[in-house]
Amino acid sequence: MLVDTAAGRQVPPQHRRVGYVPQDAGLFPHLTVRENVLFGARRATEEVGHAIDVLEIGSLGGRYPSALSGGEKQRVALARALATRPRLLLLDEPLAALDVSLRERIVPYLLRIRDEWSTPMLYVTHNVGEALALAGEVLLLEGGRVEAQGAPLALLATPGLSREARAGIENLLAGEIEGHDLEGGVTRVRLAGGLIVAVSIVAERPVASAVTVAIRAEDVIVATEPVRGLSARNVYEAVVRGIERGPGDAAVRCAVRPELPEWLARLTPAAVAELGLSPGSRVWLAVKSHSVRVASAPPARTAPAADFGTSHA
Amino acid sequence: MPTREEWAIVLFTLRVAALGMAIILPLGVAAAALLARRRGAGRTVLDTLFSLPLVLPPTAVGVVLLDALSRASPLGRWLAAAGIQIAFDWKGVVLATAVMSFPLLVRSALTAFEEVDPRLVGLARTLGCGPLQAFFRVTLPLAWRGVLAGTVLAFARALGEFGATVMLAGNIPGRTQTLALAIFHETQLGHDGRARVLAGVTALLAFVALWSSEAVGRARTRRAA
Repeated sequence: MLVDTAAGRQVPPQHRRVGYVPQDAGLFPHLTVRENVLFGARRATEEVGHAIDVLEIGSLGGRYPSALSGGEKQRVALARALATRPRLLLLDEPLAALDVSLRERIVPYLLRIRDEWSTPMLYVTHNVGEALALAGEVLLLEGGRVEAQGAPLALLATPGLSREARAGIENLLAGEIEGHDLEGGVTRVRLAGGLIVAVSIVAERPVASAVTVAIRAEDVIVATEPVRGLSARNVYEAVVRGIERGPGDAAVRCAVRPELPEWLARLTPAAVAELGLSPGSRVWLAVKSHSVRVASAPPARTAPAADFGTSHA
Repeated sequence: MPTREEWAIVLFTLRVAALGMAIILPLGVAAAALLARRRGAGRTVLDTLFSLPLVLPPTAVGVVLLDALSRASPLGRWLAAAGIQIAFDWKGVVLATAVMSFPLLVRSALTAFEEVDPRLVGLARTLGCGPLQAFFRVTLPLAWRGVLAGTVLAFARALGEFGATVMLAGNIPGRTQTLALAIFHETQLGHDGRARVLAGVTALLAFVALWSSEAVGRARTRRAA
């Protein structure tokens, strides 16, 4: 227990050994990259070298933070925190300040940290995709209260979960890595019932490891005829089970395989009308491999968030 | 051109001002660092107290210092017992100029410390630094230009100190006479020409000091941008 306001106990921050990485990296502007990484560690220990290697910042050593890109700053901040051998890593929206393409390049580094250090991570984010990709256990906070707690996928299945919390990951399918095609830039994931989904390559995930693929409902393209000559790597025949209409928006539920949960495709009402979709329609669903996210299957590792006690950042 | 005696006065003035800065630099930095961390009534009171010499007549400050050092006060008795003479001695000049320029240093340093992002200091704490270490490894390195600019400004002020010096140290040629006192002295004796030469030298010194303070401050602004 680091902070217990009821008992009036408060461990001074320098003795907490919590490695903290804020949204804007918070590097010391008067120190070089190397001096920043060594700030807490003091000496070039093995841990420091390891952190520098894993985060691939060795070539940045002599530069000042003002000469770094946003992604480089975050990597240096992660190395600086790891170099002090913390007992807990507190990552406060570390990717929020980065643009989307950069975020996806940092995630593999975070996975490596998660897998190579046994340090528990407390990761604060508004991004469901990040939570899905990294977390073993999720605490969903709403207005300062814990709304739900559990493995990320189990949590997403919780009825009554707010739409925002669920946004963007309507289709969640369990599977395992079947193989990587390095040249083709795709990883094949085998779902229940043998369905193969091609996703843009995630070579850091070993073959046969259990994963979950997530597909946004708006990324599912619906066709009423078999499609050919399409760039999308994934095309599946399916049957429409139901259509839910909202204002300016229609959710089409489709059965792809009996073993799989129904897929959800989000279309405009105009598209539904033009295609003449109704329950029972035969359709083909197309998904680009870039539109499929891969997350660890639950529960990869349970981050003991309770260790942090009653403290609040 | 200044005479030999006048050059001696210039040197004496520079020496006491420099000595005064050496004394108030650590005190002023400590005072500013403490103020920068405080909020509320206590801070306002201290801030006002430190700033008093800026607005009080220097002669009033001189009187206060004289009283504090007189045999009527415990401090004065202790100094007398130790055989240390401050009033009407060069040490009195140092004390008077130091006290008068102290607020300028504190105010500049305070501004510089407040410009340092407190989250960086907090981060240093999470990386194992105690409050003092965080100050020396993060706050001071990020604020040193402001502190330096304040020191040079205080030095310039010290060069021209008159009122408190004349009250505490008197105007003793060859012993406590600074440039400001010498200018007054020469005009009293009707030596207007000499007074003008000394005023010219003073203006030149003050110009150089102020200009370097500005230059340091400008470099700071550029780096922050």
